[in-house]
Amino acid sequence: MRPLMLQGHERAITQIRYNREGDLLFTVAKDATPNVWYTINGERLGTYDGHRGTVWSVDVNWDSTKVLTGAADLSCKLWDCETGKVINTWDTKSSVRSSNFSYCGNMINFTTDRQMKHEPKICIYDIREPSDSEPALSFVIDTKEMSKPMCSLWGALNEYLITGHDDGTMAHWDLKVGGELLHSVREHTALIKDMQLSSDQMMLITASKDKTAKLFDAPSLNLMKTYKTDRPVNSAAISPIRDHVVLGGGQEAMDVTTSNLKEGKFDARFFHLVFEEEFGRVKGHFGPINSLAFHPNGNSYSSGGEDGFVRVHQFDESYFDFQFEC
Amino acid sequence: MVTSMDGEQDWEDVKPRKKRQDDIINGSEEEPDFSDPEDFEEDVSDSEFLADVLEKKPKEADGIDAVIVVDNVPVVGEERLGKLKIVITKIFSKFGKIHSDYYPEFEGKTKGYIFIEYEQDKSAKDAVKGADGYKLDKSHAFRVNLFSDFEKYKNVTENWTPPEKQPLKDVGNLYYFLEDEDCNNQFSVIYEGGVKTGIFLNTAAEPSLLEQRERWTETYTRWSPKGAYLATFHAKGIALWGGEKFRQIQRFTHPGVQLIDFSPCERYLVTFSPMQDPSRGDDIQAITVWEIFTGLKKRSFHADMSGEDRQWPIFKTKYDGKYFARKAKGVLSVYETPSMGLVDKKSIAIDGISEFFWSPADNMLAFWIPENNQIPARVTILAIPSKKEVRVKNLFNVSDIRLNWHKQGKFLCVKVDRYNKAKKANISNFEIFHIMEKQVPVDIVELKEQVIAFAWEPTGNKFCCLHGEAPRISAMFFEIKGGKIEHLGTMEKKQATHIFWSPAGQFVLLVGLNSFSSSQLEFIDTADMTVMNSGEHHMVSDVEWDPTGRYLVSIVSWWEHKIDNAYWVWSFQGRLMRKYPMEQLCQLLWRPKPKSILSADHIKKIRKNHKSFSKIFEAKDRLLQSRVSKEIIDKRRSLMEEFTNYRKHCNEVYQHTTPYRRELRNGVMTDEVDYQAEDLDEVTVEILIEEEETILNDKE
Repeated sequence: MRPLMLQGHERAITQIRYNREGDLLFTVAKDATPNVWYTINGERLGTYDGHRGTVWSVDVNWDSTKVLTGAADLSCKLWDCETGKVINTWDTKSSVRSSNFSYCGNMINFTTDRQMKHEPKICIYDIREPSDSEPALSFVIDTKEMSKPMCSLWGALNEYLITGHDDGTMAHWDLKVGGELLHSVREHTALIKDMQLSSDQMMLITASKDKTAKLFDAPSLNLMKTYKTDRPVNSAAISPIRDHVVLGGGQEAMDVTTSNLKEGKFDARFFHLVFEEEFGRVKGHFGPINSLAFHPNGNSYSSGGEDGFVRVHQFDESYFDFQFEC
Repeated sequence: MVTSMDGEQDWEDVKPRKKRQDDIINGSEEEPDFSDPEDFEEDVSDSEFLADVLEKKPKEADGIDAVIVVDNVPVVGEERLGKLKIVITKIFSKFGKIHSDYYPEFEGKTKGYIFIEYEQDKSAKDAVKGADGYKLDKSHAFRVNLFSDFEKYKNVTENWTPPEKQPLKDVGNLYYFLEDEDCNNQFSVIYEGGVKTGIFLNTAAEPSLLEQRERWTETYTRWSPKGAYLATFHAKGIALWGGEKFRQIQRFTHPGVQLIDFSPCERYLVTFSPMQDPSRGDDIQAITVWEIFTGLKKRSFHADMSGEDRQWPIFKTKYDGKYFARKAKGVLSVYETPSMGLVDKKSIAIDGISEFFWSPADNMLAFWIPENNQIPARVTILAIPSKKEVRVKNLFNVSDIRLNWHKQGKFLCVKVDRYNKAKKANISNFEIFHIMEKQVPVDIVELKEQVIAFAWEPTGNKFCCLHGEAPRISAMFFEIKGGKIEHLGTMEKKQATHIFWSPAGQFVLLVGLNSFSSSQLEFIDTADMTVMNSGEHHMVSDVEWDPTGRYLVSIVSWWEHKIDNAYWVWSFQGRLMRKYPMEQLCQLLWRPKPKSILSADHIKKIRKNHKSFSKIFEAKDRLLQSRVSKEIIDKRRSLMEEFTNYRKHCNEVYQHTTPYRRELRNGVMTDEVDYQAEDLDEVTVEILIEEEETILNDKE
């Protein structure tokens, strides 16, 4: 089936996310305008205007009332999902790299980059508090001891925060006691670009520049599976219904112009979750895939690429018929 | 304690000396009397007492080290002695200044051996090294020895025992790899940027690693032509490995070695090093010919790096290893084995010789001479060692010539490039020499376009060429049947740059190997001139048929291309069987196999009964296949089981924490997705937003 092409961004897509029901798709890009789309027909529902630089991350809360974006214009913004109005803006000293709602939707976190002599910072706010109140928790990462965080996630039941770092380290931060490093593992040899939880929040998949994606047990960060490719992996997602994962990436954006399309390998690759075997590829993007997400019902998935397009793919019958022999 | 001891000793040591000094100063010591008393009898011999002085005493044997004895000198009478002396002096003064010579005579004739004394010992040593075995003429090859050696061998003590017999170094069966039950072939791979070298066996499911060593070679590896040895390159020289455990079999010290060439018979190895170390004197030379079995240096040569010797191999060996040949400016030098002496003692003068090749099956070689002024270019087939010209052909308006021997030496294909009249573009044609026929007739195949590649079928009489200009390259196939050249077919609009015939013949692969071409691989069956299959391996840099012609690998080498280093295995029909990405894969080489020892009749018989054999093999393959897939399934099953257990545990935790989750989301249960796409209907609603009325003006 032909994918839906969402053409609304002028520049490279940085992150895409479905809301809990999967009827909406939120996309952010290196242009300053986050978009929201109907997944059923690919129609654009609206934009969130107010940022003045690359938007690195987007999240939507569980009841689809609020949207959170983190941008390189030194701000993290909370939006009213329906009206597109800014509810709150947190100004930062350096770019906001990742931002997330907690499971309950009452808390948000964001991480900032190491820039202009500012050390990276992890901030957590309670959005029920007045807009100018102090963060519920914030701590600085000393880059002498740990590299900067590139992505972050809330762990199950809001108890801890997981960060993925520039050097391939992953860390658990305790939130009850106040930002204590619980433990860290270094299973990747290069930058972790993306982390996504399984639908039950028990498993975690990482995507790394070291050309692999890895599956971890989220509470313990025990490595379970490794999915190997021959290109940097920018994003990976776990199917909510089948034992599949999808990986996206490709030749680094800066090298793309010097190599041809086939060499770039900008395909989305499907692997079996357990056997680590690749069983399918979806072509289409003509730049690296920067972000991938499964629809919550598992019947479709979307990808956003460096080429500025978002492609919504509905799975064919054959996808559901396919079984690994075992 | 220790220090005081030392002090005391010093003191004692110093005291007597001091006393003596005092004595001298005071002149109190008497002048000693050195003369012996009259009845004194010497109890020490001179040799004992003056050993060091006697050593320097001139001896009769002095200068004896500068004398050589030359045997096998022609026996001549007085009348020709002068002439002989002139010749001998000329030969031997090459090694240094001759002090004197002596020609013993008996009844007016020389005795067939002579003595030569040099001014320096070194010259004598050089003469032994350089002139021993020198062939004056057919029946006189000099034997040169140091005179002192005669003395040495004469004085062999009586209790001399012959050296103990060394046990034979058993290297095992060097061709063990031919005994593989399933006839699988081996290949060597250099990967991880040259750090690791591995030998793999191309077994059914996937290649199995036989041997892997780190830093086995410093640059690259080479197999010998029949596959017995694997050569590795090191700063100090070449090492050969073989046998089942890949033990070191031979070592050849040649610092800075860069290029090697095995003789087709695997008996000799030629090594080349551009590093010429002047401090080591003339011991080190650029090119060395070695005997592989003994590891001995046969002969060394200088290389002319600026001109003639820039093409490797410099030395070309005849198929059976009997002769080595090398060209220099205007000459062709043919050396015979095992003496490594020049055939007939002199090189063959061939003015302007440009390129030569041995016939792969006969005692002949072919060479060509470019056009020079009014003299046309010339292709010559020369018999060796008789030096008879088997066939000469003159060619006009030639810009370049390439010689290609048919693999069984039945034909010689000469590709001739000519300028067209405007002298702008090149056009090519082929001149096919029918070596086996009387007077060697020549057929001409005109092409009218530039030829990019040419290749003979390894087993048959077909040949293929690529001609034209990219992207409109045509592949043409010919076969020589009953002395006539038949055009089998032409395939147009190919993007290939290289031709690779299957070692078994009939099948051919066309591929584009430079980075501007398409990386398309096309498998062609020349029996019915069809493209069996085609595929693409992006950025492919090398292609290698396995020696049996069953498989082909396409390689993206790290030396050429920094990413996607991998080798892909194709069947001979062009079916892509498997892809093996390998980190920084540099080189992959199949281990060659010697020629089959089966007779032509035998092979024919096997072909005839092919069906009955294939049944057995098919059954075997099936068995293997099912075993492999069973293994995979077993593995998957256990993985799945493990994972299911893990998920069971996850699910327990998940169920357990449900109330907490509900609490976090204000009592709303969100574990189940309640979104149903089917429930939605798309409704198209048209709303009138604005209405505008414009009155079109009437011109009138």
